[in-house]
Amino acid sequence: MAVTKVVMPKLSEAMESGKIIKWLKKEGDRIQGGDILAEIETDKADVEMEAFGAGVLRKVLVPAGETAPIGSLIGVIADPADDISALLASAPAGGAGAGSVAQKTPLRAEPAPAPPAGAASAVAPPPRPAGATPSAAPVSVVRPAAAVSAPAPAAATGVAQGPQGGRVKASPLAKKIAAQAGVDLKLIQGTGPGGRIVRRDVEAAGVAVAPTAVAAAVTGSEFEDLPLSQIRAVIARRMPLSKAPVPHFYVTSEVAMDRAWELREQLNTLEGQPKISVNDLVIRACALALLQHPGVNASLQGDAIRVYHRAHIGIAVALDDGLITPVLRDCHAKPLAQIAVEARDLAERARNRKLRAQELSGATFSISNLGMFDVAEFSAIINPPEGAILAVGSVRRVPVVDDSGLGVGRRMAITISCDHRVMDGAMGARFLQDVKRLLEEPLRLLV
Amino acid sequence: MATHKFDVAVVGTGPGGYVAAIRCAQLGLSVATVEDDRPGGVCLNWGCIPTKALLRNAEVVTLLGRAAEFGIRLSGFEANYAEAVQRSRKVADRMAKGVEFLFRKNKITLFPGRGTLTAKNVVEVKGATAAETIEARALILATGSEPKSLPGVAIDEKTVISSNGAVRNERAPRSIAVIGAGAVGVEFADVFAAYGVQVTLVEALPRIVPVEDEEVSKELTRAFTRRGIALKTGVKVASVKPGGAGVVVDLEGEKLEVEQVLMAVGRAARIAGLGLEGLGVQLERGFVKVSPHMETSVKGLYAIGDMAGAPLLAHKAMAEGVVAAEAIAGKSPRPVDYGNVPSCTYCRPQIASIGVTEARARENGREVAVGKFPFTASGKAVALGETEGFVKVIADKATGELLGVHIVGAEATEIIHEFAVGRTLEATLEEIIHTIHAHPTLSEAALEATLAALGQAIHI
Repeated sequence: MAVTKVVMPKLSEAMESGKIIKWLKKEGDRIQGGDILAEIETDKADVEMEAFGAGVLRKVLVPAGETAPIGSLIGVIADPADDISALLASAPAGGAGAGSVAQKTPLRAEPAPAPPAGAASAVAPPPRPAGATPSAAPVSVVRPAAAVSAPAPAAATGVAQGPQGGRVKASPLAKKIAAQAGVDLKLIQGTGPGGRIVRRDVEAAGVAVAPTAVAAAVTGSEFEDLPLSQIRAVIARRMPLSKAPVPHFYVTSEVAMDRAWELREQLNTLEGQPKISVNDLVIRACALALLQHPGVNASLQGDAIRVYHRAHIGIAVALDDGLITPVLRDCHAKPLAQIAVEARDLAERARNRKLRAQELSGATFSISNLGMFDVAEFSAIINPPEGAILAVGSVRRVPVVDDSGLGVGRRMAITISCDHRVMDGAMGARFLQDVKRLLEEPLRLLV
Repeated sequence: MATHKFDVAVVGTGPGGYVAAIRCAQLGLSVATVEDDRPGGVCLNWGCIPTKALLRNAEVVTLLGRAAEFGIRLSGFEANYAEAVQRSRKVADRMAKGVEFLFRKNKITLFPGRGTLTAKNVVEVKGATAAETIEARALILATGSEPKSLPGVAIDEKTVISSNGAVRNERAPRSIAVIGAGAVGVEFADVFAAYGVQVTLVEALPRIVPVEDEEVSKELTRAFTRRGIALKTGVKVASVKPGGAGVVVDLEGEKLEVEQVLMAVGRAARIAGLGLEGLGVQLERGFVKVSPHMETSVKGLYAIGDMAGAPLLAHKAMAEGVVAAEAIAGKSPRPVDYGNVPSCTYCRPQIASIGVTEARARENGREVAVGKFPFTASGKAVALGETEGFVKVIADKATGELLGVHIVGAEATEIIHEFAVGRTLEATLEEIIHTIHAHPTLSEAALEATLAALGQAIHI
């Protein structure tokens, strides 16, 4: 039975250390692969760390509330009979000795018995434990990694890994773009030869931090310099990467929401059914329209335009210190009720910083809804490499003129921001027209 | 009329066709090829290969002319143009025989004659003596291209010639106007000038080799002007008419009197009489429209090489041939990366490039880093006495991505490949500079230009 070292996972290129919010397992607990071991605070979100490897959590080396550098040993999983004293002795504070099977992430294609790939990405393997000493006695299988995964300050290599090694196969260019964009290569499935991660994979993975900024209120003294929270720093770094190189254009349309509003009220009286929000209707409408307009569900990939066949929609969620865009996958294949449940779950976990890492990337399109702030309309900044984002305003009661004369109607403005390199105004407008039609004939959202 | 059944029939055996045929055979398919000339197509018989032989002659002649620089005194020498052409024929002949050998080795059946499609999987071959019918599961069309002319200008291959005439004529004219300063035009201008022909190179665009980086055009302009080649750029040809010493070229005002005119204004897909119309094969701007796996709009019918569109380069055709063959064999080949095809011109100094020009890189909105290294600063180049030209590297400033490389100078066409490999592997400036380049080599200029892009060039 192998001894599994639990190490601080590296969840983004920018991450150098992580804070353990709390341990969900205590020493002596039986652990199975996939169990949630602890919650880790990173620059992007609070992430659940899953166990990889079974046995008993024999030792917790870094208690809750403390910070540990990435790759450092924070716990040990082993059989009760295994002698782990050598390992503990060789692992001074903050360092992990070489040898043994390290806690790693089965995100890339792994032989059985790894947990399903999609469920296990919260924990990344340690690319290079600080202070690794090749002289430390190997505890079990040792497979030295052939190379370090990405440019990083830490220099030590020679980390032991499980099957397939911990080396991330990525092109130099992919590594650089990932480092600059704050994308974790370990969360990306490579499409190059032999699963090598190449530029287009990193660009497709994108980053989950979304557009727009939040105005800061100033009171009292003339000004105050607030340190950037990690999330705000990421937004600050990412947004110019979108707005400057991506030529945005905007198309706005007004949607008559009377029937959608009525339908929503009817749906919400149904017992045992989830409550549907306006945003859920918008998500569903966008997902259906994206299938009809694949040119909008697209992204610029160097010399090619990648058109996605699935609608993974990023949903911007406001946080106190910024915002985050978790991804609701395969919206086109999900009925409205499922979208409602999953979107609410994502938003709640986003606010509680409980998102899993894989929920933060891979969107093909995004929606930013400021309707709750009584916003008439606004434009959002595209979240690269996505090709478009929809900004949704409030549903407002306004005077409308129809055949019967002056009346009161519910109207909502939607504005799409499009990457002009990928699509043209007419494409954006046609897409918008379909979204509008779906919302104005909302029964279409149910069939 | 006999009907033969094969897995694959390839119509045309130029670099695209013969490579596709061999790859199909390697993958266990039975292959028929159809050719109305010698195997090897234009490239081996009338294009790339014989012109390289002629250019080598031009180089030798030029070197002999420079013998005194090397301390070698010659009491005159005679460069016989007819013999140069005869030598180029021998070279072409040898290479064509090589293709015939490869066909035998791979058990590929060659049907001499002109192929016409009578159905999407049937080729009728009209040979000199008999007609044959080939039925195949899949067809690969690789009939190539032929020289174009300007409207109203007929190519008679006597006074108004194309590259076809230029490689065959054993007599060099006293004067020639080369119309079109792309690869074909500048290569023949080089050959003729070396043999003492009075050459005028005419180009409608503002600079010669207009698809290359602007600085490359400038360098070649300097080199050609030094060698006495007259350059007329940004001029339109109004008419080409018999008169004077042979032909009069009217350049909207200025009249050029020359013995011959070489039309080098581009090439068109060779698809007439192939029977594509009847099958409903879609065309795009005169070329056959194909999928990334080289399939035309008709299922099971593939098209590769020049007939399938730009760039019209033999090595692109070969790459497409492999893709088509593998697709037919049921593999899922990696499509050709058209953004990463090196482009080479074999005039002196040679030109090689890959990726985008500096101007294009800037248009694309990238913040770029440019590094340039002249061969005058290369020990090997100075020792060779070949100091014309430079290596220019254009990279993305933020990531070091190799956006484009432009080389003009001796053996430029050999140096370019390290950048082609680098780009395929998504190497950045850093991987190139950490690759030790042997000293002294011309390739060191590639390293130095890369260093220069990072502001770290040592030898300049």
